[in-house]
Amino acid sequence: MPKINVDGKDLIANDGESILNVCERNGIYIPRYCYHPSLSVAGNCRMCLVEIEKMPKLQTACSTIASEGMVVKTDSEKVRKARKDVLEFLLINHPLDCSICDQVGECFLQDYYFTYGLRKSRFKLENKNQKQKRREVGKYLVLDNERCILCTRCVRFSNEVTKTDELFVNSRGDRAFIDISPEKGVTNKYSLNIADICPVGAFTSKDFRFKQRVYMLQTTKSICTLCATGCKINIWHNNNTIYRITPEPNIYTNTWMCDDGRMNYKIVNSSERLTHSMINGTEYNKRQTVKQVFNKLSKAMDDKLRIAVVLSNYLSIEDNISLIYLAKNVLKTPYIFSIESNQQKIEDGILINSDKSPNSNGIKLLVKKYGIKDISEYAEYDIVIGFYEDIKNLRISLVKTILFSYKKSSYPCLIALKTYFETDGSFINWQGYLRKTAKVVNSPENTFDLHHFLMEVSHLFAVYPDFNFKGIIKDLKYKEEGQ
Amino acid sequence: MSLDIIKSDLIQYFIIYKPQIFYLIETFVKIGILYGAVMTLAGVLTVGERKLSALMQDRVGPNRAYILGFTLWGLFHVVADGIKMIMKEDFMPKNANKILFTLAPIISLVPILFVFAFIPFGNYINIFGYTARFEIIDSNLSVFLIFAFSSLAVYGAFLAGFTSGNNWGLLGSIRAQAQMISYEVVMVLSILPVIMIYSSPSLSGIISAQGENISGFVPKWGIILQPLSFLIFFTAALVESKRAPFDVVEGESEIIGYFVEHSSMRFAGFMFGEYIEIVLFSMLISIFFFGGWQVPYLSDSGFTLGNISIPVNHYIKVILELLSISVKTVVFSCIFIFIRWTLPRFRYDHITKLCWKYLMPISVLNLVVTAFFVRAF
Amino acid sequence: MIRTKKLDEKKLNFWESIYIVEIVKGLVVTMRHFFINLFFPSRIITVSYPEENLPLIGNAKLKSLHRIKLRKDGSPKCVACMMCATICPSKCIYIEADETENYVEKYPKVFNIDMSKCVMCGLCVEACPEDAISMDTGEIVGGSYDRFRNYKNGGLFLTKNELFRHLPHETISKSGAANRLANKYLEDKND
Repeated sequence: MPKINVDGKDLIANDGESILNVCERNGIYIPRYCYHPSLSVAGNCRMCLVEIEKMPKLQTACSTIASEGMVVKTDSEKVRKARKDVLEFLLINHPLDCSICDQVGECFLQDYYFTYGLRKSRFKLENKNQKQKRREVGKYLVLDNERCILCTRCVRFSNEVTKTDELFVNSRGDRAFIDISPEKGVTNKYSLNIADICPVGAFTSKDFRFKQRVYMLQTTKSICTLCATGCKINIWHNNNTIYRITPEPNIYTNTWMCDDGRMNYKIVNSSERLTHSMINGTEYNKRQTVKQVFNKLSKAMDDKLRIAVVLSNYLSIEDNISLIYLAKNVLKTPYIFSIESNQQKIEDGILINSDKSPNSNGIKLLVKKYGIKDISEYAEYDIVIGFYEDIKNLRISLVKTILFSYKKSSYPCLIALKTYFETDGSFINWQGYLRKTAKVVNSPENTFDLHHFLMEVSHLFAVYPDFNFKGIIKDLKYKEEGQ
Repeated sequence: MSLDIIKSDLIQYFIIYKPQIFYLIETFVKIGILYGAVMTLAGVLTVGERKLSALMQDRVGPNRAYILGFTLWGLFHVVADGIKMIMKEDFMPKNANKILFTLAPIISLVPILFVFAFIPFGNYINIFGYTARFEIIDSNLSVFLIFAFSSLAVYGAFLAGFTSGNNWGLLGSIRAQAQMISYEVVMVLSILPVIMIYSSPSLSGIISAQGENISGFVPKWGIILQPLSFLIFFTAALVESKRAPFDVVEGESEIIGYFVEHSSMRFAGFMFGEYIEIVLFSMLISIFFFGGWQVPYLSDSGFTLGNISIPVNHYIKVILELLSISVKTVVFSCIFIFIRWTLPRFRYDHITKLCWKYLMPISVLNLVVTAFFVRAF
Repeated sequence: MIRTKKLDEKKLNFWESIYIVEIVKGLVVTMRHFFINLFFPSRIITVSYPEENLPLIGNAKLKSLHRIKLRKDGSPKCVACMMCATICPSKCIYIEADETENYVEKYPKVFNIDMSKCVMCGLCVEACPEDAISMDTGEIVGGSYDRFRNYKNGGLFLTKNELFRHLPHETISKSGAANRLANKYLEDKND
């Protein structure tokens, strides 16, 4: 455990820790371009130069290992001058594109220029090196080589994280630029992370491009519900519209995020979205829908039909608890089933799970608690209530179903639901962590929170629930972060 | 019973009651003409006042309201104002006396409208042998009835302020009491010499007396025989109409006035009443002091001055007489407006002082001197 | 203690104290104005705004109605960088950006200014890196009851159609930060 002194403060470093990491842990910020906590150290941008006593030259903080007795200055006159000069070098060939560049607001060049630079360039505008602008790379990215400062974060990402090696630095000196190996192309499923880690506007997202300025957006923390991994995400939204989703790096689950997860927000305003409940081809508003479903169910109960309720791995714990409550206390049917999920395993070794349902673990806990059978004991039922994604795979006559859905489809009785961007819900991911989605935008007027809908139906049956979700979820055996 | 019998019965009744039926028709026609003209003039005055004041102050005045692209010098503002007044919220304060609060604008408007019934607005017309006088009620005491009714209007101002439950309104009412009652006295005192001179307490008598000439060529108008009376009456009329320079009752800049809580058509009642009052006093001034419908030197036989005589058609004469009183009324209405926009407001104590210390003694003196002269000659 | 102030009221002479002469004097003044204005209406100096406008003096025309300057080929200089919308203190500028095929890459698909919110501060002009938005039209925004009606129909809502225009007799400048791209685009267009 070497002790070092940074700007007059005595700090204790771990063995083999770089100066930059020690400073970061203790709240001293050192500017950087090429350094990224989840990638290997390259040390090529020279922005993190610090002064170390008894060393003749300035050293890069990201690659220098802290050793016993080091005295480091991060804000001396020499360091400041060095940073200014490095910035001037980086900006020699950088085009004056800020007005059309999408990085504005999260651009390290702009931020550091205002913090450390603020010097007029001594190089002429006309002599700037011109390179290729606007090159489409893969499905999701746009590359502008003029803006690139060759920090090689993207190259290291493709080498180390996805291990696909699509990107490399072509040519040398001031002609060097990021190139794509022609036989591969950027086809990996994590390509948009490159746009995130690019400190300048060289790689930008084709989907988010020119939609909004970053500084006009608000972020809300939530989770991704596209697979059992349950990545933590930031949702960037403004005026009731979601513009993009970025990962919220954490030590438990994810640093990165897959492209499919980022595009998931499009369901909210897609043309396939179910905005009204559809029963036998007629659109109904909220009030009418509750009435219709109530009529249907009460008639079925009078006729002593067999009603089955299928729990869904795609729905939150609250919604599933409400489904169990409906089956047990309102419909008084013994037929409550769950659906077996795929085996839970990270397919590609990074993030994507082979189980595509976000709440399989939560359902397992509920099944254990309430003693629910598996759908494999499948028999002939007269009415099946469930989530449309599940029922798709079962061989049940369409006419007999009451389904909940976000998307339009051909089932005769569809209840429009809010997506988990529009409502709160608790999920337990494959590691067993309990996580919650957040309400970010307003839903279309005639869509339901599933548990609200079920409670309204049970009110019509004159059954008034007396439990709260918090208490039930507390009893489930889930892990909490930090354990 | 057949239809013929009914028919013949009706004809019988018609022949029996012919004068009464004719009298009814005649009265309704006269009411239509007079009140139509008065209401129109009062309506036009609401915009006219703004337009005239604008011209006096080098402005253009209201000119925006239009129908089908025609602005008609801003005359459509009458319509616009009316619509606005009707559309406004009809507000009543919680602690107001509901009945009297509603009654106040009616009381201030109706007596003044009633006064017009006594006013002769023309001589007579002869149509196919039927003679009709341009006067709705011909009474020998019309002068006194006019002042009796017009002073009733003061109750409107009292009630409005007292019953609205507003302190500003109360102040306005108190001022109205003090100011208007005192000037009622002066007004009647100033008109008594005129009645003496023409020796008739009816308006038609006063007007026909003014048709004569003094020493052959000067019309025997009130302004010539009683200039002092004219000045005092005019001042009193200004006070009665509650307008600048005697507008302490309203006092827009400090207490807003007795109608501070009245909105919508209730307020419109007060405002319209003010303009009708202007028309009324313009007519009275022209009758008492400027010969009413008399055109100088015009009589039944035509224009006569000394020995020269030009015969005039009966209908042309009627039209000239109607025009005469109309022009005089409009001119005096305008003078009311000019005075308002020229003079600053009198101080409250100055108004009272002016009335009791100067106008009252002068009018009494005038009365005595006139009485002496009337008795002597 | 009660403070009193003695007013020096002017002592009126006889003619003044009977008011009549002074009233007539006052009436003469107002009547003079009345009759002159009645017969010579052109002497009234009122300007019937917004139908009539006085010409703006000096640099006042640099704080008049907004416009977006155009390039030589008629495309807007604006690249939808959002600087004006960001700095606008009354948040009256709404821009939707979109991608174009030409070198400049970005252009405003929607550009609206709500003049009923605008405070005419001119910060948008100073913020503009492309010298695109300017307030040099010399026109003054007219009064209106309808803020959501189009400007040309008497409202206060400026859209692309009203904003994107040349001034008459304007010499078209080339300055701007995205100049290289814009110039390249214009050169291509001329060839």
